[in-house]
Amino acid sequence: MMNPEFRRNLWLSFSTHRLIAMPALLGLVFATAAYSLSNPGKALYITASALFILIVWLWGAINANAAIIEEFRDKTWDQQRMSALGPWTMAWGKLFGATSFNWYGGLLCLLALVFSGIAVDQPDWPLDLFSLIAGGILLHAALIALNLHAARFEMRLIRRGGLGWLVIAFAVLFMQGFIWSARSPLSGVWWGITIDNQKFFLLASALLFMVCAVFAAWRLMSNALQVRTLPWAWPLFVIILTVYFGGFSRKESADNVFLLGFFIAAGLSYLMLFTEPNTLLVWNKLRARRQAGDWRGWLADLPLWPTTVLLAFIFAMIAMPTLTAGLSVFPLVTALLLLRDACIVLFFSFAPNARRPVSTAILYIAVINLLLPFFFGKFGWSEVAHFFNPYFSLGSRAFFGGVGGSGIDLLIAGIHAAIALGFVAWRLNRAARQ
Amino acid sequence: MDIMIKISGLTFDYPGRRALDDVSLEVAAGSVTALVGPNGAGKTTLMRCIAGLETPLAGSIEVAGMDVIEQPRAVHRSMGYLSDFFGLYQELSVARCLEYAAASQGLPDAAIPQAIRDTAHQLQLTDRLSQASGSLSRGLRQRVAIGQAIIHRPKVLLLDEPASGLDPEARSQLAALFRQLQAGGMTLLVSSHILAELDEYSTHLLALRDGRVLESRALQGVAQTDGARILRLQLAAPDARLADWLHARPGVVCRNVDSGFAEINFQGDANAQAALLAALVQAGFAVTGFAEHKENLQQSYLRSVAAHLESVESAP
Repeated sequence: MMNPEFRRNLWLSFSTHRLIAMPALLGLVFATAAYSLSNPGKALYITASALFILIVWLWGAINANAAIIEEFRDKTWDQQRMSALGPWTMAWGKLFGATSFNWYGGLLCLLALVFSGIAVDQPDWPLDLFSLIAGGILLHAALIALNLHAARFEMRLIRRGGLGWLVIAFAVLFMQGFIWSARSPLSGVWWGITIDNQKFFLLASALLFMVCAVFAAWRLMSNALQVRTLPWAWPLFVIILTVYFGGFSRKESADNVFLLGFFIAAGLSYLMLFTEPNTLLVWNKLRARRQAGDWRGWLADLPLWPTTVLLAFIFAMIAMPTLTAGLSVFPLVTALLLLRDACIVLFFSFAPNARRPVSTAILYIAVINLLLPFFFGKFGWSEVAHFFNPYFSLGSRAFFGGVGGSGIDLLIAGIHAAIALGFVAWRLNRAARQ
Repeated sequence: MDIMIKISGLTFDYPGRRALDDVSLEVAAGSVTALVGPNGAGKTTLMRCIAGLETPLAGSIEVAGMDVIEQPRAVHRSMGYLSDFFGLYQELSVARCLEYAAASQGLPDAAIPQAIRDTAHQLQLTDRLSQASGSLSRGLRQRVAIGQAIIHRPKVLLLDEPASGLDPEARSQLAALFRQLQAGGMTLLVSSHILAELDEYSTHLLALRDGRVLESRALQGVAQTDGARILRLQLAAPDARLADWLHARPGVVCRNVDSGFAEINFQGDANAQAALLAALVQAGFAVTGFAEHKENLQQSYLRSVAAHLESVESAP
């Protein structure tokens, strides 16, 4: 039995005209390229690669973007959510169904690529082939995942066409890397392994992130279909990124990796903090689950950012002893400031009739971190400036002059976090009384 | 009485307001329950919670013995839902819309063609099967959407304002369809603002107000809480003896009486009713009408609201 979601997309994507037009047009382009250049085989190889990128990566990204957007726009999303299809069936049905016509054209391009690669004795055509496929799936899955995430926090984004532009911009960047790697086969080292074949490494990377993107699309589809999931995948993704990017560290030491892990965890915590729903309803639900002793439900309803904030603290604690004396408390100071910023977001999100709480929180975070330290620094009150931002170096009136070098910075960050936690507790108590 | 839907302590919040407040209720298997209430009473939220489309703050929902919150995908096989703002795949033909709905609800491939034929026949869509759904009129689109919701023969069908925007003829056909589905054993929960329309096919009333259950009961045969039936008596000409005569009869409680008309609560079966009529005629009353009066849904709902408001006002 064919996946009904995939079949529905095939019905919508294909017609007799389209079935004939695609190979006819591609054949015409391939023939023109092959006959108008001095090296027909090479010309065909490059044309097929370029057309694959155009048809599958870019045009396919537009269709993958529409896979979720159109369900909301045409009010068919409830029907899909009411179906008995499981999250995986729905996810792959959309992933390959919405882009099926692009893959039809893409497969014809790949046939041309294989044919010309063998004809001109291009040794790494299999690497190019699989990199192109992995890149396409990665882009499409990332778009489906991003739009499913966007639908949870900001329906206006969905109504305005989703996050397609973001992934297409990413595709262009990735494309440059692909072309660069093809032209300049530089070698590097990853976890002590010499990368002799840049293309192979690129393919392995694309496959890794393709699996992550498909997994994310499946997990977010599960949530959209009300299938409860526990929040382990997001911190695992942080760990995967840490291991991946940690491999490029020049200093082959695990110490650097923990610091890198801290930065990644903190960065992705901010990303989720600003994009997940953090309304009082979410936290009331968590309280209700806790009171009912439903810990599985509590974990399922928990926003994702607290998991990576916790991970950031763990990485900070592990990284601290490995750093030089002047920088040793820096990760913990930053982790405490992250906690403070999370509390600022919650404080505004929990306000009665909260409107644009994230924008307001970002504004206040900027005022505390930048405007006030500059203001007091300008008037020579560096101690006050330093209190607002421990990164504001005493005396130098500049940022990062003596980053987190002392216990006093830790104390300041701790006071910030405690005050912010106090404000959140006050807001929660007030809401509970109403 | 078998229970098809069982809800306990259901609470649901929207930002700044509670949409459902500790709602507990049961819906009998094979019933057609009219879900009524003013705008903002929580009807749509209740339906979406039952359908597993929203996760409540607290409470439990069971449909056909399955926990909706824990097993939403499994419950959907036993359930059909027509949203107030439904959509169709505009470019697909009616046949393909139905085929997709059947397959996505888990019907085996071999059973799908017959299911399409049966559903199209039931909804009088047979001659529209090859037409694109986007080219259909509002009434026909409504029928296709209902077809998508019932093609897998669910045990429970939830319909949110199913008749909105339909002409009187289409509404009448819809009522006939709901009666037919009920006769086939399906349990229906239907919300609508048009109570007269619900009156045609509903067996039960579920009234919501401010997110709470105002009343939940069977409609037919239990018009009075003490088991009495309401009878209406009409005379050809006023007769001053009528009130006293009725007051003196056992099993009769006057609700509203004047010299030419009476509305009474009557304790007794059809034979006792016939005996009362015979006694009236024998006493010389020129009876032109004597029949049971069944409260319609509108009256029943308004009476519930009035009782609720009275209890709120009298509360200390």
